[in-house]
Amino acid sequence: MGSDVFEITVNVIKMLAIFLLMVQLVPILVWVERRGSAFIQNRFGPNRVGPLGLTQLLADAVKFLFKEEFVPPKSHALLYYAAPVLALVPGAIAFGGIPLSMPIDIQPFQMFGSEWGPYTFKFQSYDLDIGILFILAISSLGAYALLLAGWGSNNKYSLFGALRASAQMISYELAMGLSLVGMLMLYQTLNFSNMIELQKGPLHFMFFGKEILIPFLPNWGIFYQPLGFLLFATAAFAETNRLPFDLPEAEGELVAGYHTEYGGLKMLLFYIGEYGHMMVASAVMVTFYFGGYELPFSLSDSLTSAVRGAFSSVNLGNVMAALVMHVVMLLKILFFLWVFIWVRWTLPRFRYDQLMDLGWKTMLPWSLANVLATAYLILMAGSAV
Amino acid sequence: MILPILVLALMVGTFGTLLVYVASLLGPKKKKTAAKYMPYECGLPGQETKKTNVSIRFYLTAILFIMFDIEILFLYPWAVAYRDFVDAGQGAFMFWELFVFIGLFVFGLLWEIKAKALDWE
Amino acid sequence: MAEIVLFYFLAAATVAAAVGVVMHENPLLCALHLVLSMLGVAGLFFLLQAPFVGAVQIMVYAGAVMVLFVLVLMLIDTNKDDEKFSGGNISALTKGLSVGVLSGLLTSIILRTPQSLQRSVTYEAYEVIDIAKLLFTKYVLAFELLGVLLLVIPVGVVALSRIRGGTHDR
Repeated sequence: MGSDVFEITVNVIKMLAIFLLMVQLVPILVWVERRGSAFIQNRFGPNRVGPLGLTQLLADAVKFLFKEEFVPPKSHALLYYAAPVLALVPGAIAFGGIPLSMPIDIQPFQMFGSEWGPYTFKFQSYDLDIGILFILAISSLGAYALLLAGWGSNNKYSLFGALRASAQMISYELAMGLSLVGMLMLYQTLNFSNMIELQKGPLHFMFFGKEILIPFLPNWGIFYQPLGFLLFATAAFAETNRLPFDLPEAEGELVAGYHTEYGGLKMLLFYIGEYGHMMVASAVMVTFYFGGYELPFSLSDSLTSAVRGAFSSVNLGNVMAALVMHVVMLLKILFFLWVFIWVRWTLPRFRYDQLMDLGWKTMLPWSLANVLATAYLILMAGSAV
Repeated sequence: MILPILVLALMVGTFGTLLVYVASLLGPKKKKTAAKYMPYECGLPGQETKKTNVSIRFYLTAILFIMFDIEILFLYPWAVAYRDFVDAGQGAFMFWELFVFIGLFVFGLLWEIKAKALDWE
Repeated sequence: MAEIVLFYFLAAATVAAAVGVVMHENPLLCALHLVLSMLGVAGLFFLLQAPFVGAVQIMVYAGAVMVLFVLVLMLIDTNKDDEKFSGGNISALTKGLSVGVLSGLLTSIILRTPQSLQRSVTYEAYEVIDIAKLLFTKYVLAFELLGVLLLVIPVGVVALSRIRGGTHDR
């Protein structure tokens, strides 16, 4: 965590800030979801509370806090209460592992009469060499929250919703994990920061001994693995139980799925968990296929040096440059979150057997084929990227 | 390496527990009626909920998931090392190694499809 | 220092969760404690500079095997079927026997471990790529045989799904 008081404090504050960023994005996303759906369906949406209905979020939060406390009878109280908290944890931990901006270098400085530094602070809660593998592992724990909610609330609709949700999650986890393998072959690393480093500059790679350079395209993963991206994005929709894969919540059949018996703030925690998973999926997509926090070409270099030049202090300049790149990352993530919302209000829902068929009989074979084809191409054409 | 993750988990867990606890203190305490305590069933009187037969497909899916999950986990280190092997001239060996492994994988998958273990009627 | 504190914390949590597995009457709670125990073991792997093994531990045991257990247990009426999980002379005998064998094994291993405080092995953090280079060259036969072994699972599943009778007869 750090070697002295300053470093530990900054790291803990940073961790808290990233977590709160995730939690704070949720009400904004709920607002976007409601206004966006209204826009798509040619309605007004919430527009009474505050300008554009923006303070609706605050009103909702207060309302959630003052809801009546309710525990269904014959339910397992501990599991009933634990489930919403557990829904929050895997998403939050996974989100902390993705670099949201470039590392901040801090030169030695004077404070409280003693010498501090130099430090390097990474713009993420923790940095593991096995980055993506750990994120996938932690995300796979998300199934427990649903199972506990379904079992703990003693309602058959909850139970069926939980069963459907967990079966769906584990089925699509396979396609999700496999779709990234092709990209990992090209990156040769599991660490997110290294991947972002490899995606700098214009599109260039070696192909049958010739160097190919396409100056008008950035060196992003999407251009190497378009099929992989498509499979990953589809699996991400299924993993987060969003339409068109929201069978666990099919209201015509199951009321509201695993959170039928939940209300008030406990319901909100499930929401935060779901949006948290969406944010993790978007952030992984951005990092794997769209260059992470970097802008295409050398734009990010010129932008950061301009920002650094505007501040007299080197340390302040570094912090500000990282914050600017953080905004870039956030914009990219928000774009994919908007795609999630857009798709939700555009496509109809699958039937359950269609959903399972798509996962096992279409996406799994295609991602296997993608792995084999990528491996064969690398073998034939020599080194790529 | 593990410390920040543990601290983060603790932080998030405390946050969630605190919110649930505060909400339970702030919420109004109303009379608990029999109708409120019935399992939610869209307003109809509750039917029996005890014995619900669940399709065995859910278990089958979970068992099959374990098998494929383990196989995919082995592909991760393979993918990371593959280009080093290609550069060292051992690429063909590694490719056929993967080919056999994925062949077994596909054989299992085809077996399942043929035996209709993956069909949800 | 911090590492030692962390080790004792994780070890205590793992053991406490394992005790919970044995002590709880509700099989679902037992399974959930087993998940916690698995996560504790994964944490210990991280502490030993083996994050890959730790992540695999979380993914396979906590994320896949235990999900299956919980799925199965959720569908049993735990209020009624408790006796089937506990009680009976044969069950008690098996439990006593397994406790005896396990504690015997553990004591013998603890007694055989050299107690010197010196580190005889120098640890280096194993990168995923090092594991891969060993696994796919030296142990390639084991790797392929594992693929064959995993094929047993679909065969078993097909056999399972074809059993007639019981509650799932169609």
